[in-house]
Amino acid sequence: MTRWCAFLACCLGVAAAAAADWPEFRGPGGRGLAAGEAAIRTTWSAEEGIAWKADLRGRGVSSPIVVGDLVVVTSSSGPRQERLHVIALDKATGEQRWERSFWATGRTLCHSTSAVAAGTPASDGERIVALFSSCDLVCLDLAGRLLWQRNLAVEHPRAGNDVGMGSSPRIIDGTVIVQIDCQGDPFAAGIDLATGDDLWSVPRDRIASWSSPLPVSLAGETAVLLQNPNGLELRRLADGELAWSWRGDCSGIPMTAAAGGMLYVPSAGIAAVPVGGGEPAWKGAKLSCGIASPVAWNGTVACVNRAGVLVIGAAEDGRVRGQVRLSGSFWASPIVVGDLLVAVGKEGITFLVSTGDTPEIVAQNELPGTFTATPAVADGSLYLRSETALWKVAAPD
Amino acid sequence: MGGQWKRILVAFVAAGGVVGPQTLAADLSSDLSSDLARLAAAAPGTGHAPLAAAADTLAAIPPAGIRPALAALANATPAGANWLRSGLDRAVERLGTEVSADTLAGFVTDPALPPRARSLAFGWLEARDGARAEDLLDGMLDESALDLRRAAVAKLLAPSSADEVAQREAHRRALTAARDVDQVEAIATWLTEHGEPVDVADVLGFIRRWRVSGEYDNVGGVGFATAYPPESADAAGSDPADWKGVESADTHGAVDLNAIIATKKGVLAYALATVTMPEAGLAEVRVGSPCAVVVWVNGRQVMAHEIYHASEAIDQYVAPAEFRAGENTVLVKCCQNEQTDPWAGDWKFQVRITDPLGLPLARQGAVEDSR
Repeated sequence: MTRWCAFLACCLGVAAAAAADWPEFRGPGGRGLAAGEAAIRTTWSAEEGIAWKADLRGRGVSSPIVVGDLVVVTSSSGPRQERLHVIALDKATGEQRWERSFWATGRTLCHSTSAVAAGTPASDGERIVALFSSCDLVCLDLAGRLLWQRNLAVEHPRAGNDVGMGSSPRIIDGTVIVQIDCQGDPFAAGIDLATGDDLWSVPRDRIASWSSPLPVSLAGETAVLLQNPNGLELRRLADGELAWSWRGDCSGIPMTAAAGGMLYVPSAGIAAVPVGGGEPAWKGAKLSCGIASPVAWNGTVACVNRAGVLVIGAAEDGRVRGQVRLSGSFWASPIVVGDLLVAVGKEGITFLVSTGDTPEIVAQNELPGTFTATPAVADGSLYLRSETALWKVAAPD
Repeated sequence: MGGQWKRILVAFVAAGGVVGPQTLAADLSSDLSSDLARLAAAAPGTGHAPLAAAADTLAAIPPAGIRPALAALANATPAGANWLRSGLDRAVERLGTEVSADTLAGFVTDPALPPRARSLAFGWLEARDGARAEDLLDGMLDESALDLRRAAVAKLLAPSSADEVAQREAHRRALTAARDVDQVEAIATWLTEHGEPVDVADVLGFIRRWRVSGEYDNVGGVGFATAYPPESADAAGSDPADWKGVESADTHGAVDLNAIIATKKGVLAYALATVTMPEAGLAEVRVGSPCAVVVWVNGRQVMAHEIYHASEAIDQYVAPAEFRAGENTVLVKCCQNEQTDPWAGDWKFQVRITDPLGLPLARQGAVEDSR
């Protein structure tokens, strides 16, 4: 049935998709799932099906977010990538509404595959927070007014990572969570979104990771999940106290997916760990993640491995339901839009894949550039960010 | 007049009110000075609401307020510089052509303004009139704003139809002016290919002649905080005798301890250099290493970074140090860990001593086998 739906959608040139804002890394709640019943286009190219393209100042690998009538994205420029930019574009036209620039106050060295603008900004609908690899955290209102800033590498002089910090900030119930994992002075903090003041700060293991905080419910209370190669920590939102932890091999880059009280942890394959539990319910070695994070939804877990193979498994036992070979390498995390999984390849090819037991490539569309940013989706439009440009794929007619 | 009313008045004027901007600027000076001082002194992490309000005031200033605000960048804290910038960018955006291109160009070339201010003004001018900004670069080869100096060097080397003699002269001038490693290397390559060999390590000022002692135990990282004899002796000003003289032939002055000692894990080594400084004072110690490093100058520790295999780069770690005129010692402790990843095998470091802009200051004599 799913296959037929996908086929029909392809014939019609549309697929089910989102209608709401896309306010943070991997969308609402960081799940990588587009809610709502809007539709996205299934065929596009640089010449057709594009609402607008905006060339961006500098470069970056952070994802765009969509807040009201704005699309917000970050970048950096300068000989040492020391100029940090937060750029707001008109969602309808792609015209720049405003740009705010800051001088980096921390380290700006990073590997060529990353960028100083690697973390995706986040918004509660009224404010925007952006965290850069230099550990500079800025909070702006929707008109671009600086409300507060935190120079976290000034406050923690050994914070930073010369490979590049990649964690995105997360806003949960008015608290900005930052995860500064590194060898120098690692910590996580809950910062009051309204005032910029610390609510809590806790030390972390002295080991690098590029994972981002994830809201997870424990005993009916929202907590924040922090991941590094040593395992998982679930910390209370109010005071940062440790609510639960799990020690075990975790990947340092792809982040855990959460669904239905289970954590799908990228390690050697995927380990399904119950929230608040101990031993994994199952380990699926064939569900191997590369750089991109897994996505979990409706009893399904999917990941793209280093060979560019999309593997879809059953969330209940890790059994592989099907797989399909994409082409290229994948740094952007896949998202699910209706019955389609959207996987953006580094080389610019976006694959739309049906998500049934026998996944098939429904469509693949190419744009020029290097794409390592996870896409955003809102109002039936996909937002695809290359290192130097942002493309809005038009909603279907 | 209270600050709140002042802000209302400023907004009124910005909206086309009857009070002229010059009159207001004079009237505003004490409040503006107070806000600029508050913004410039911003401490990290606290007091955001009053700073945001002061930035709002700054965003509403008349054209005459731009220069004093730029000047305030001279002594601004890192947080303060960004608060000032946030208000200034908004002010210039709001004022548009009320701040003329001539005025912006004047800021760019004003030697009394700090480098960061001139660079910021250049960005405004570039957005307004790119050709005008480009013209200003001709006089910026000695610029202390490094991004402007870099742009001036790039302009000097831009492809042209000039004959080889003129290009050669341009490259010679550029080599003297350039401070960025990639520019120095590109210039050196051109000159070398055109019959004028350039020693990049010498131009960049890497310390190449060292005496090395090792290996010492660093299993489990224990050595990073352990003072082995060379370190203790350096602190005491004495002369341990187990040094081996080495000279780096690397383009970037890298001292490869795998080649000098052995390819090992869980070990550390010391390297000692004697450098000559032209005069006493502060200089920057600039170190690059994929390994954990500690550095002392004349027996005083100037940096310690317990970071293993998280990238490496020229000038990765920079710290100020006090030098005396004439001979000085630089001691490096370079620690290798036990990671087995294929990318974690390097055990090396590079050091240079420069002024704040990257001009090499330290010189060396011939290598000695021991002191």
